[in-house]
Amino acid sequence: MDDAAFWHRLQFAFTVTYHYLFPQLTMGLAWFLVFWKWRALRTGDERYAAAARFWAKIFGLNFAVGVVTGIPMEFQFGTNWAGFAKYAGGVVGQTLAMEGMFAFLLESAFVGALVWGERRLGPRLHFLAAVGVATGSWLSGYFIIVTNAFMQHPIGHVSAGNGTLAIGDIGAFLLNEWAWIQFAHNQAAALVTGTFAVTAVGAFYALRGQHLAQARLYIQHGTAAGLLATILVAFPTGDAQAKIVARYQEPALAAMEGRFETSKMAEITLIGQPNIKERRLDNPIKVPGLLSFLAYGTFHADVRGLDAFPEETWPTNIELLYYAFHVMAGLGTIFIGLMALANVLRLRGQLESARPLLWVLMLAFPFPFIANTAGWVTSELGRQPWLVYGLFRTNQGYSAVVSSGDVLFTLIGMTGLYFVLGLLYLYLVGREVAHGPDTEMPASPYGESAGASGEATLG
Amino acid sequence: MLTMFVVLDGWDIGAGILHLVVAKDDAERRQVIAAIGPLWSWHEVWLVAAGGTFVLAFPELMAVSFSGFYLALWMVLWSFVLRGISIEVGGHIADSLWRSAWDFVFAVSNLLLAILFGAALGNVIRGVPIDETGAFTMSLFTDFTARGRVGILDWYTVSVAIFTTVLLAAHGATYLRLKTVGPVHDRSERLARRLWLASAALFVVVTLETFIVRPELYQSLVQRPLAWLSVLVIAGAVWALWTGLRGPAEGRAFAGSCGVIVGLLSGAAASLFPVVLHSTLRSDHSLTAYSGATAERGLRIALIWWPVAVVLALIYFFVIMRIYAGKVRPAHDTQGY
Repeated sequence: MDDAAFWHRLQFAFTVTYHYLFPQLTMGLAWFLVFWKWRALRTGDERYAAAARFWAKIFGLNFAVGVVTGIPMEFQFGTNWAGFAKYAGGVVGQTLAMEGMFAFLLESAFVGALVWGERRLGPRLHFLAAVGVATGSWLSGYFIIVTNAFMQHPIGHVSAGNGTLAIGDIGAFLLNEWAWIQFAHNQAAALVTGTFAVTAVGAFYALRGQHLAQARLYIQHGTAAGLLATILVAFPTGDAQAKIVARYQEPALAAMEGRFETSKMAEITLIGQPNIKERRLDNPIKVPGLLSFLAYGTFHADVRGLDAFPEETWPTNIELLYYAFHVMAGLGTIFIGLMALANVLRLRGQLESARPLLWVLMLAFPFPFIANTAGWVTSELGRQPWLVYGLFRTNQGYSAVVSSGDVLFTLIGMTGLYFVLGLLYLYLVGREVAHGPDTEMPASPYGESAGASGEATLG
Repeated sequence: MLTMFVVLDGWDIGAGILHLVVAKDDAERRQVIAAIGPLWSWHEVWLVAAGGTFVLAFPELMAVSFSGFYLALWMVLWSFVLRGISIEVGGHIADSLWRSAWDFVFAVSNLLLAILFGAALGNVIRGVPIDETGAFTMSLFTDFTARGRVGILDWYTVSVAIFTTVLLAAHGATYLRLKTVGPVHDRSERLARRLWLASAALFVVVTLETFIVRPELYQSLVQRPLAWLSVLVIAGAVWALWTGLRGPAEGRAFAGSCGVIVGLLSGAAASLFPVVLHSTLRSDHSLTAYSGATAERGLRIALIWWPVAVVLALIYFFVIMRIYAGKVRPAHDTQGY
């Protein structure tokens, strides 16, 4: 039975991790598009319109892959996690339905118009389409994080009597403290992904000496927003996130930090390897007192180690949780340093000529994807062994009627399909980047607005 | 009770719109892709929205049916992914081999979707082998009879699948007739007439077959107001379709085509209600809308925000329809759209 649970978990982890590679860029780029469309509208400067047009194409591709990889997630609640759907569907169904009804319909209604409708809509409506898409993508992020926050820190539910949950206080459920904090942290992290992507393309063009006006725009705006976003991820959002984990998921915090023993003046681990068998951390480098301070605001707070909790409430994969957390935090710190350096040079007007730094910025774009993924791994492994924290265990949640062989079969199928999808995505995005920004508006097969021309192209 | 009904019906609306998407196969040309290109993701998220609403309204039903139809649903998902890829990717490179390959994938995945949805509808009407634990699993097929330990495919569900596939193809042809000009338009027009005639014939066949498989459905049908309403809708829609297809009123024909699908689905829902998942083993194992639905409080909350969302969605719908109003011409385009 646990064997099947393992395959169900692996499959969900794989599909959700793969899926989330795309929305983080969508959400990160969305406000760039809005900003550029707004600047173009205000100043009439063609550079901004061209930038928005170029990134809208990449945004569109990214969005499409996000949609096709997102559909399986919704189905998997029923196919693979029937136990969970039955138990908590009455609660999380609210946000899943809201996400579809409010966010997706808005987002996808206007994404086509954003990518292909510039001529037809005119500048003002086209700007509004960008606002619609951006709002939709962030709303959808919020609803899905409320759903996740319920699993992390269940609130607003009542027992329905027959061993399942029903919604109690919809306000408390939607305004879950955990959801706000996690949303802020996550969206800042998505912005980091967006800013790194914009900067990297700018650095690529600058290094190749192509599209220099556009390159300059991407580097300037990418690094400026990048510094802001990287700082926001750490403070206040990351800090707040650590504090709520400390408050509601103490064993998770202990495992993230590889703490096996309780003590005051708890030190923070920079590097080290957790050794579960010996219950200690091998080869650590630590900063004394810092963990107590970060988690509870004072150096003298008691931070409980894993020894303070019964073993059956320990997260099930402490090593992975520990490494994921440290990868995320370490990368986050490096990002701040990199963006700070880039901004110092930018303000001194030397950034575009600093080739070594441009190389680093160009090659840095995959790392926010890694950091985001590691962050979610931390969040979800820290929740284990619970599916709904403190209420419902993960191995109660999967579909008992589906055998592990069937899950393995669909997992393999999914892997193959997503591999092809990834290749196509990379190839097409690569093509757009190689093609570069257009100064012309795209033609529309629907003809010009008000049917002025169009006839000419017939045949 | 009334509450429940609205939600149930709302899900049908979602399903109805979703069928619009599935319908648009029969595509060899970029023009066809262009006619649906800007809209497909919007249609497809209706499915996601419907899925979410489904979890909300009927968590237990979702748990039972989705895990029961496990492999079939994954085939649906793969078809969706493939179809999405083929639309987006096919147009990006102007190479005839590349395009033909993706057009083929596009047509096949759409066809598979239509068949699978048809089979799913057949399964819902016929019922599934829910046992005393309240769960079921199914093989793809067993002995092709429609009783007892049934499989996903048997003679009944296969014929429902054929019916829906033809019906959706007819619907797609009607849509293309409305949205295109030139040879595609003429071909769609001819095809639409033939496909609708075929659907009508198949409808009679499937109706008779349903009488054999689930005779009790027709007894309750007469007493249900929604059933009469859907008969009226279908009658009006068929009239619109008939006159629209014969004359120049292409918009009317398409409205009629939508009406037929909505009418058929609500008719099916009306005849099944309150049983939503019938057990072929023993009828007291069936899941009803009452046992499957979530606690009333949750539905009441949903009923507050749900209409707001639907109104917003309809506003978007009109805005996009206005943006993409008019016919698609076989133009030379930059990106295949």
